[in-house]
Amino acid sequence: MKKWICLLLVLAMTVFVIAEKITIIANAIKGGKNTQVVEWFERFLPDIAKELGVQVELIQTGIKDEDFKARIVLDIKGGGGADILWIDGFWVPEFVEAGYLRPIDDILESVPCWKYYYDSMKAMGSYKGKTYLVPASTDVRMIYYNKELFKKAGIPVPWQPKNWEDIIKTARIIKEKLPGVIPLQINAGTEMGEATTMQGFFMVLLGAGGNLYDWESGKWIVNSSALKDTLNFYKQIYVDEKLGDAELQVSPGAREKTFELFRQEKIAMYVEGTWMYTSVLNPNNASWGFPDRDVRIGWAAMPGRGKPGDPEFVSISGGTGFAVNPNTKNPKLVAEVLKRILYIEPQLTYFELKPFVSPRSDLADSCWTVNKDKFIAETSRALVKYTTFRPAFPVYPEISFQAQLLTERIVTKQMTVEQALKEFATEVTRIVGKENVIEKP
Amino acid sequence: MGKKAVVLLLIPALTLIAIFLIFPAIWVLKLGMTNETLTGIKAREPDFVGFQNLARIFSDRFFYNALKISLLFVFGSAVVGQAGLGMSLALITYRKSRRLKTLVQSIVILAWIIPEVVVAYLWIAFLDKDFGTLNVLLSWFGIRKINWFYEHPIFTIIIFNTWRGTAYSMLLFSAALETIPPSYLETADIIGTSPYRKLKDIILPNIKSYIFTDLILITLWTFNVFTPYLLTGGGPSFRTELLPIYIYRNAFKYFKIGYGSAISTVVLMINLLLAIFYITLSRRKKA
Repeated sequence: MKKWICLLLVLAMTVFVIAEKITIIANAIKGGKNTQVVEWFERFLPDIAKELGVQVELIQTGIKDEDFKARIVLDIKGGGGADILWIDGFWVPEFVEAGYLRPIDDILESVPCWKYYYDSMKAMGSYKGKTYLVPASTDVRMIYYNKELFKKAGIPVPWQPKNWEDIIKTARIIKEKLPGVIPLQINAGTEMGEATTMQGFFMVLLGAGGNLYDWESGKWIVNSSALKDTLNFYKQIYVDEKLGDAELQVSPGAREKTFELFRQEKIAMYVEGTWMYTSVLNPNNASWGFPDRDVRIGWAAMPGRGKPGDPEFVSISGGTGFAVNPNTKNPKLVAEVLKRILYIEPQLTYFELKPFVSPRSDLADSCWTVNKDKFIAETSRALVKYTTFRPAFPVYPEISFQAQLLTERIVTKQMTVEQALKEFATEVTRIVGKENVIEKP
Repeated sequence: MGKKAVVLLLIPALTLIAIFLIFPAIWVLKLGMTNETLTGIKAREPDFVGFQNLARIFSDRFFYNALKISLLFVFGSAVVGQAGLGMSLALITYRKSRRLKTLVQSIVILAWIIPEVVVAYLWIAFLDKDFGTLNVLLSWFGIRKINWFYEHPIFTIIIFNTWRGTAYSMLLFSAALETIPPSYLETADIIGTSPYRKLKDIILPNIKSYIFTDLILITLWTFNVFTPYLLTGGGPSFRTELLPIYIYRNAFKYFKIGYGSAISTVVLMINLLLAIFYITLSRRKKA
């Protein structure tokens, strides 16, 4: 008897050692956040596994982006983690500095489609001359609005504001005509993390002709009239006229709550990215999807402030992609799996499930699929020319947190615009050093 | 038993304490003197910065915010809440029927044994602004919906933690009360002593040392409690950011592991001070 148990144990251990397994981690979970991603993997991962004769496993995690980042960082620092990481592009610089990503130039040599990726997209995935990330998708940002609510309030659709004043006027009408409906959701506060910086703060700041980083001098901007106007815009929306719900911004799980409220048609306008339409509001999203999304939800370009010299419209882009864990035991196998994920067929399937602005020309040219998606075709055409990218330096997340604090302090009335800006300048200066900051008129 | 045997028997325990307590504590001290981060260049090549972190903590407005909230939380939920309520419950059920005692204790202990995550969900379900049980109940009496987590954040977590942890103090005080010789109180009953005099002159002096033990333990526990994070995430806008949450935010949300360790050291010192304070207090009373 003992003999048999020993034999069985040895056998089990051999199987454990021999069976090679490639793991992929993504912030997606079936039936929840990014459910389309899981469905997509389920369709073709078994085929890849069969073809290569290995196990390929998807690790699902439907959590806040910040928590997802912490999980990956701790995994890798601890010497483990999934082989292929589906992460946000703006994490690349700080991850690389810490030695958390494996350069993948050698892998990409064997990936035929790499030559089709746009240069701007390749730049998002590279740092100091090496490539670390294959972009999976990119996006643009805009204002979504609920057409039914607009009709009820007597606002003509399609709707396209020309400046901030137009947005505020529309919000006032909704507040007056539809009590109980939050006119505008523009993210604020630290609870929403990067979603505040990206979907909210930057969209306003860019509209005032401002930025957090001065690309000419290579310095961080700690004070400018654009910053001041951005905060005044937030103040007008959340404090002076109460056209947005300030309490909501700082309550736990704020982002999910706003999705829920948008679904319940209690939010009329929402500034967000492509992802909102293709994933959150997607009819196949069990939690927040609209079955009649395409007729009920409209979109408009986010206008600039409206002063002479301001940009007409604004957008900012991010993107996610595949990176490789330096702890991976089998880079060759990872390369084979990655190569197959990037084949045109799986990519087109992914597009059908969760349409995105394509980071590569061969996909964008596949007009038979991509142009069929009216939303992606139209938003890309209208907004890609206005869009810009974040100053994704290793220090960016710290500056971004300070920007979130700026909005939080205004919407919760903890500080005046001047006080908040003063605090912002002090903190940013402390983070990057006196020689790396600049004030703009 | 010889001295040698005692030492031999102690070795396993001491080894465990060294590995899991002393070594990590020293490690945290060391980390707290670096600017190590979890991402970026400082993850690979942290610099030794000495006491710079400490200097920054004492000029960090978030530290004072967290300290203030922690002190309020400890005083409200541990000293007044858990010890106060625990004592009241123990006294109410003291020398009463067994059945009443069992009933009260079972209910209170129930709050203590449910896993933290479940408890957090229960409380969110109870206090939610739109769907929470409490607001639905209040609305029957025509009271407007209250956003508890936003309007009374500290009060909410104090009540929560009192509810959560009263069982321990109640059990400890109940057991302590049993140690009072029944004859004391019976004599007092016969000569018609008022309840207040009985409490002041018989009950309290007899269980004094238990009260100090209880206060030391629950103060330290409450100081280090993290569960409110599951309810409020430290918000709204840092208004329930207790010291442990403040440490967590710096170390694992903003990845400043060195700075987070430095704050941990400071919190450790505060804990030591609290412990010394209680111990001297109890010694002085004895003398």
